Amino acid sequence: MSLGDWLNERIGYREPLRRLLDEPIPGGARIGYVWGGALALLLLVEAVTGALLMSAYAPSATTAWASVAHINFTLRAGWLIRGLHYFGAQALVILIAVHVAQIAIHGAYRAPREVGWFLKLGLLGVILGFAFTGNPLPWDQDGYWGTRVETGIMGAVPVVGPLTQELVVGGSSLGHMTLTRLYTLHVFVLPAVTALLLAASFALFRKHGFGAPHGANLTKADRLYPKQLGMILLAGAVVLVVLFDLAAIEHGAPLEAPADPVSDYNARPAWYFRPLFELRKFFPGSLELIATVGLPGVIGLYLALLPFIDRKPGPLRARLPALAPLFLIGLGAVGFLAKSYASDAKDEGFQRSQAQNAQRTARAMALFKQGVPPEGALAMLRNDPEIRGEDLYKKECASCHRLNDLGPPKDKQTAPDLTGFGTKAWALEVLRDPDADHLFGKTAFKEMMPSMVKPPADPEAAKMFTPMSAADQETIAAFLEAQARGERSAGTQGETLVRQRCTSCHRLDGKTDDEESAAPELRGWASVAWIEAQITNPGSGKAYPPAAMSKDLEGHMPAFEEKISANDRKVLAAWVHRRGRGEPAAAASAPEKKP
Amino acid sequence: MAEPTQKEPGAAGYPGYGLPHEPGAGVPASAGAPFGGPPPEERRGALKALVALGGLAYAGAIAVPAASFIAGPAAGNAGSAGGRERWVRVGRLADLPPDEPRRLKVIGEERDAFTVAKDQMLGAIWVIREGEKIRAMSATCPHLGCGIELNGDKKTFNCPCHSSRFALSGAPETGPSPRPMDPLATRVVDGWVEVDYRRYRDGTAALEEIAG
Repeated sequence: MSLGDWLNERIGYREPLRRLLDEPIPGGARIGYVWGGALALLLLVEAVTGALLMSAYAPSATTAWASVAHINFTLRAGWLIRGLHYFGAQALVILIAVHVAQIAIHGAYRAPREVGWFLKLGLLGVILGFAFTGNPLPWDQDGYWGTRVETGIMGAVPVVGPLTQELVVGGSSLGHMTLTRLYTLHVFVLPAVTALLLAASFALFRKHGFGAPHGANLTKADRLYPKQLGMILLAGAVVLVVLFDLAAIEHGAPLEAPADPVSDYNARPAWYFRPLFELRKFFPGSLELIATVGLPGVIGLYLALLPFIDRKPGPLRARLPALAPLFLIGLGAVGFLAKSYASDAKDEGFQRSQAQNAQRTARAMALFKQGVPPEGALAMLRNDPEIRGEDLYKKECASCHRLNDLGPPKDKQTAPDLTGFGTKAWALEVLRDPDADHLFGKTAFKEMMPSMVKPPADPEAAKMFTPMSAADQETIAAFLEAQARGERSAGTQGETLVRQRCTSCHRLDGKTDDEESAAPELRGWASVAWIEAQITNPGSGKAYPPAAMSKDLEGHMPAFEEKISANDRKVLAAWVHRRGRGEPAAAASAPEKKP
Repeated sequence: MAEPTQKEPGAAGYPGYGLPHEPGAGVPASAGAPFGGPPPEERRGALKALVALGGLAYAGAIAVPAASFIAGPAAGNAGSAGGRERWVRVGRLADLPPDEPRRLKVIGEERDAFTVAKDQMLGAIWVIREGEKIRAMSATCPHLGCGIELNGDKKTFNCPCHSSRFALSGAPETGPSPRPMDPLATRVVDGWVEVDYRRYRDGTAALEEIAG
């Protein structure tokens, strides 16, 4: 007796299996019947990859990002598992939408199949629930801000909103408890509900079979196995190939920089929520609820009632009145989806924020390779000199100084533009036209320094004026650039020229002809130490002298000695020095050697 | 037909059971044998084999990466010092009395999957200064990993868990330990004692280094 016989005698699996496989399909096998089966196959893939991800994922605000990065970039085949799970989820959204639409077009929800239809709608809801609870789990910027917005929408719902929001968030703000709760929903509650829905759907399928469309040739029949099952497997395989492809292209799935609750992040929802995102723009203020809750609710209700509205079988043409809203919803969704991406593509502010975000993400990845500290990924990023420097600059400097695309608009700056600060080109510009708008022209220091090439406005003085030779300008600018690099350049021709031409106002090693002048020290100009001294106290004499802090100089630079910690001042100075001169980001901190 | 979807012939528990209109154009004479399955027609046989093969391929496409993910040691997991030298400064040479074992802490960078913690206690070692030579042994018992202590007479080591006793040389004297205490390489740099700290598998007679 074979093992199969032995088992069959005890559990009798052969008969039901044969009945399932030999299930006749009136009208014959068709592509239109593959969606439910493909959906079930894909859910299986999601379950397997999900369980694998669970084996390496650590749900807490400090570990989630690092563990996902570990899965995606360190663990063997981790990228593939995560990529399949991530893109599989999006394929599920497409498949369930197609499945639901197909059922509606076939009219396969009519009596006695209404309950099956409700189950499918339930599955649609559960799949969106998986997306809502799954997207934040990596705790990157995209996931965090998506959840921030979505739970905000939740909280705005009258009566039940605030309580639901608090239950999901696990408190008043997003944190460890949010992740553990979303995680519980994602890996336990929703899968359990899905299993029930699938089991019920399957039982109903066994009871009613496929619902043939109007006009199908019912004299023709196939069995489920092999033709229809083959089609289902083929559809599943096509989906799987696409998923493998997407995962390979993306090397897993996207992972943005770690969630930062105080960053300026331009949040956008996943593409399948984009139509609602776009719709929301038409309902300003308190009308927002119409887009976020009202319309989706109406659509849901319409779908649920469809079997009772569309009662008479017939050609699609005859059923159009009942199905028109469905087509409108589909067209509207696709239209809004396209519109949303098109308007983002044209939105310069959004593009800039995307570029900044990509930079931060790249930096986070470089830091991750060095290892994430126990304080978490956000601390890792925040303590990085590059990121920290930029954050400090944005917070403390950018209201007056421009640097590349940071800072006030070009015509609004009230302090010199630091783009190129410390380079020869910047020094040359100051020599030639110190009162240019982007240098000192909009500051209290306007008209303090004369141009070396333009004659002064006063005709008497203009007569005496001889422009500095191009060669001398070059030599002085080169000396200044060397100072910015941290070289002393003692005894060079540049130093001699500076002593001859500049020290009547400027200081060199603290020596000047005019102690009252507000002109800065040129030794070490624009070096890290010089910038740090200037940030600490712009009247110390190490950079600018006390006169530069005079009350008469309205809008002069304030001292940051008490506002920024000594360590942050160092980080900021090094960052301005690097970025001003257009140097690439410092390499991610080299592994420290123990003393 | 008003109800094209209606195909249940009666109250039979399973649909498809003895259907009256089974023989369609494409399914020849299969209705006659509801439990016998379709006749052994070659084309159908090939199709069935293809479907079965496809199903296997589908399962394999997931199962292979899954097994790789679960079983694979973290590729490029810099977490361990596994196999590589890791010299750790453990104390000053001047603080070591001659011929008397001293228990010293090994402090260093600890990696665990994705986290790196600085200045963590990685373990403890016994260090003995023998003339100009510095000898170091792991304080982890080779039996099952408990911490080895120095006995009161300072002549032997003892593991409190399962009473393995070791000579000062590290050689096992009594008890279950399968091998001597694990020796570690040492060097002296600028008056500091440094140890190449490694970890070995418990319970084996031969030294087998473990990653991390």
